[in-house]
Amino acid sequence: MIQDFKSLVSTRARPVIARFMFGAAVLPFLTVSAMAQEATAQAPALMEMVEAGNLPPVSERVGEEPEIVEPLNAIGTYGGEIRTGLRGSSDHNGILRIVGPQGLVRWDPQYSKVIPNVAKSYEVDDEGKVFIFHLRKGMKWSDGKPFTADDVMFNVNDLLLNADFAPTPARFTAGGEPLKIEKIDDYTVKFTFSAPYGGFLAELAAPLGQNPVLYAKHYCKQFLPKYNDNVEALIAENNASDWRNLFLQKCGDLEVATRWGNPDRPTLDPWVVKEPYVGGATRVVMERNPYFWQIDTEGNQLPYIDQLVMPIGADTESLLLAIIGGRIDFGLRHIDTPDNRPLLAENREKGDYHFFKASPPGGSIMAIDLNLTAKDPELRKVFNQKDFRIALSVGINRQEIIDTVLLGEGEPWQQGPFEDHPYYYEKISKQYLDYDPEKANELLDGLGLDKRNGDGIRLLPNGDPLRFKVDVIPTFDPTWVDTLQLVQQQWAKIGVDAEINTLERTFFYQRTSESNEHDVAIWNAKASWVPGQLPHQLLPVSHDSRYGIPWVEWYESQGQKGSEPPESIKERLRIYDKSRATADADKHRELMLEIAAIAADEFEVIGISKALPTYGIVKNGLKNVPEAMPNFWSAGTPSMTLLQTWYWDK
Amino acid sequence: MLFAYILRRMVWAVPLLFAVSLIAFALISAPPGDYITSFAATLSQSGDIVDQARLDALRERYGLDQPFIVQYFQWITGVVQGDFGISFEWQQPVGQLIWERMALSVTLALSTLVFTWAVALPIGIYSAVRKYSIGDYIFTTIGFIGLATPNFLFALVLMYVAVAYFGADVSGLFSQQYQDAPWSFAKLVDLAKHIWIPVVILGTSATASLVRVMRANLLDELHRPYVTTARAKGLSEWRLILKYPVRIAINPFVSTIGWAFPQLISGAVITAFVLSLPTAGPLMLQALLAQDMYLAGAFILLLCCLSVVGMLVSDILLAVIDPRIRFR
Repeated sequence: MIQDFKSLVSTRARPVIARFMFGAAVLPFLTVSAMAQEATAQAPALMEMVEAGNLPPVSERVGEEPEIVEPLNAIGTYGGEIRTGLRGSSDHNGILRIVGPQGLVRWDPQYSKVIPNVAKSYEVDDEGKVFIFHLRKGMKWSDGKPFTADDVMFNVNDLLLNADFAPTPARFTAGGEPLKIEKIDDYTVKFTFSAPYGGFLAELAAPLGQNPVLYAKHYCKQFLPKYNDNVEALIAENNASDWRNLFLQKCGDLEVATRWGNPDRPTLDPWVVKEPYVGGATRVVMERNPYFWQIDTEGNQLPYIDQLVMPIGADTESLLLAIIGGRIDFGLRHIDTPDNRPLLAENREKGDYHFFKASPPGGSIMAIDLNLTAKDPELRKVFNQKDFRIALSVGINRQEIIDTVLLGEGEPWQQGPFEDHPYYYEKISKQYLDYDPEKANELLDGLGLDKRNGDGIRLLPNGDPLRFKVDVIPTFDPTWVDTLQLVQQQWAKIGVDAEINTLERTFFYQRTSESNEHDVAIWNAKASWVPGQLPHQLLPVSHDSRYGIPWVEWYESQGQKGSEPPESIKERLRIYDKSRATADADKHRELMLEIAAIAADEFEVIGISKALPTYGIVKNGLKNVPEAMPNFWSAGTPSMTLLQTWYWDK
Repeated sequence: MLFAYILRRMVWAVPLLFAVSLIAFALISAPPGDYITSFAATLSQSGDIVDQARLDALRERYGLDQPFIVQYFQWITGVVQGDFGISFEWQQPVGQLIWERMALSVTLALSTLVFTWAVALPIGIYSAVRKYSIGDYIFTTIGFIGLATPNFLFALVLMYVAVAYFGADVSGLFSQQYQDAPWSFAKLVDLAKHIWIPVVILGTSATASLVRVMRANLLDELHRPYVTTARAKGLSEWRLILKYPVRIAINPFVSTIGWAFPQLISGAVITAFVLSLPTAGPLMLQALLAQDMYLAGAFILLLCCLSVVGMLVSDILLAVIDPRIRFR
């Protein structure tokens, strides 16, 4: 997995992806348990508090069964802070990615398998319907109150399954029914689904899969009418509009900024909020959780780092300046674009930092989704002909795009994981890549699009020129619009008139995913079909499947809304449901490749080039930071590398 | 007479404010999509998925599925009672969020105003009196550069120079240790150490234009007969200029006070954004981008109210100075 990453400027597009496998999820009734070891050491500040009698001893605080974590390179020393940058608005996940989602289970640092986290171990039955989690005895919330099965019961029954609070997220339902929970004893809970749900562990390990252990019952229950008759008084006191708003103000939720807004809320995180993330804040500070439940192999309580300091800069430029000025210790989010690389490379010495490599999970930097359900009947008819899509694909000179826009770094690619990945499927990744305008012209002529107007643009059967708008968000990825300009010229040569329609993000989303007004839309295909990712470019399963938004609606509503997809799509959706149910990794792979084979035959989505690895910066002297890490949302990069094991070399 | 004039103007302000609130709400509802769309788009960009049922439920809870006029009515009845609603993003009452940042905005705006006037007036007078002198040319050149350079660009350049050559951080209004400290004398000193940078940056173009205005106005006055008369009567040159022509030339400055009010919020959005200043501007911009409509709406309403009030104040001041306006 980890390769040397010294020659940073000449980074190759070669992937550094580990074997993404289901790992632990495969083995039924497998029990992973931690060795018993005593916590013996702690941060000096905490030691003083213990000696002064203000804090229980460390062995009591971490509980009887702390998780023992082996640091990447060395046992660390206590002290110091890590400074990272946040963007002003909607960057709550920037905090989540640093602190880490503390769910029942988590991904290992290589994103290769799911391992126990808050749960000490787990069992899965043969069918993949029953999941038993064993909790850690003596584990505590950050305020020192015990964490038990009652907390899990509270989270699931009173919030997750409480439709009055919020609808149950899809990841906690299988076969159309939500999970059921049962408390076996104080440290054991049983989750039951009515249908097999083999992918459940991967979902629990996702950054937003921690609902079952998010809230501390002893604190958060006071904001629920069920537990507190005087909740109205609290609502009035906090100027809240109703109890839900009060609850969100005080306890937050996944994807709600207030999750980091209340220093009083007990958590299971390595660091707890000291200066909160609220509207108008200029920075967020988090300090160590004295009750954190992980220790290193020598019995030192984690984390090593005293506190996290996250200044909130309104824009990326000021973040870049802060990095060059040496005021940032770790940076990845918002800065990892190709055009920032020379600037950051040049200032490595001044800023006293070095680069690490951040690898995508395979896929293409950019996917062109022709809307197969377009509202314009003429275009829809043309888009739905496979030969048309082939013509457009071979009408693109990918090498030219790679040489100019991507500065030579890339490889023609349609979509899907790279060659060294178990989910690699050659045909869908490599078909129709060679630039062949003659063949493109031949194919288009063969479709009856052989008449042209004065500008050389082909005419549709109704006499209109073959013209469509390509919707794209210019700020999402700066290479997209540049790439499109070349594609536009190349397509003009085969008589296809594409108009680049740059849109603000929300408008783009509204025009494509919500109302299906678009002809063609651009999105990435980086999130390929490796476990824990949604294969949205293979089959219509999410609002990013912009070739068939009404099909997504049809699938999500189980045929109630949207429009019925063709048989080939329906077959893929059936196989996909099967793959979600299976707990067997080999079987899962087989089913996904089956879907890939059908998708390859249909060839709905056109890709450009392999997704390039990006980079992040880390201050020299910050240790136990991997030199390369997989970088994508499902992995919650960099949190899966466990920042609690990072330390400053003194 | 003056009292009746003020009263009449204030009565007129009421329907104006009502119309302004309707326009403000229409403006924030105008962009396609709503907070939920923007929320889903944000999630989508980070690679995560929210299901439609969840989005629909949120939309219903926030009342975003209601018709425009119903939403407006709910909002304005709250506003009249002092309740500006809850910010979707921060889940906090909007009033609370806005006041937190307004204090610093006002400080910054007032400091900038004082700086601008303190620099622009003497230079303007000097340039007019010593027309076409070396000094006038130097100030004119600097003035044109100041006018032509966008503030945010100046801020970026200054930040880069500070970081690249002096290793200093010029963004923000406080040093790290004072950022969340309670107010104290030391924090005030720290603020004073930081605030001059944004003040200078924000003040440059305003100063430049005021210098030009002052110079032009004063030049008109300097050749009037009353100036010649006063000079003939033996008044000392500086006393003469300051006492008569400058007093008349300063009149247009008074009308600019009206514009200064809304500038408290909107004047320095981009510069404040670039410099990471904890003022109201960036918060308003973020609210608009995220379509956090009650927060954005409150800001726009506040802007409009400040404009109305500012115009009122400057009209009254003009009426006080100039009897012709009063009697008309």
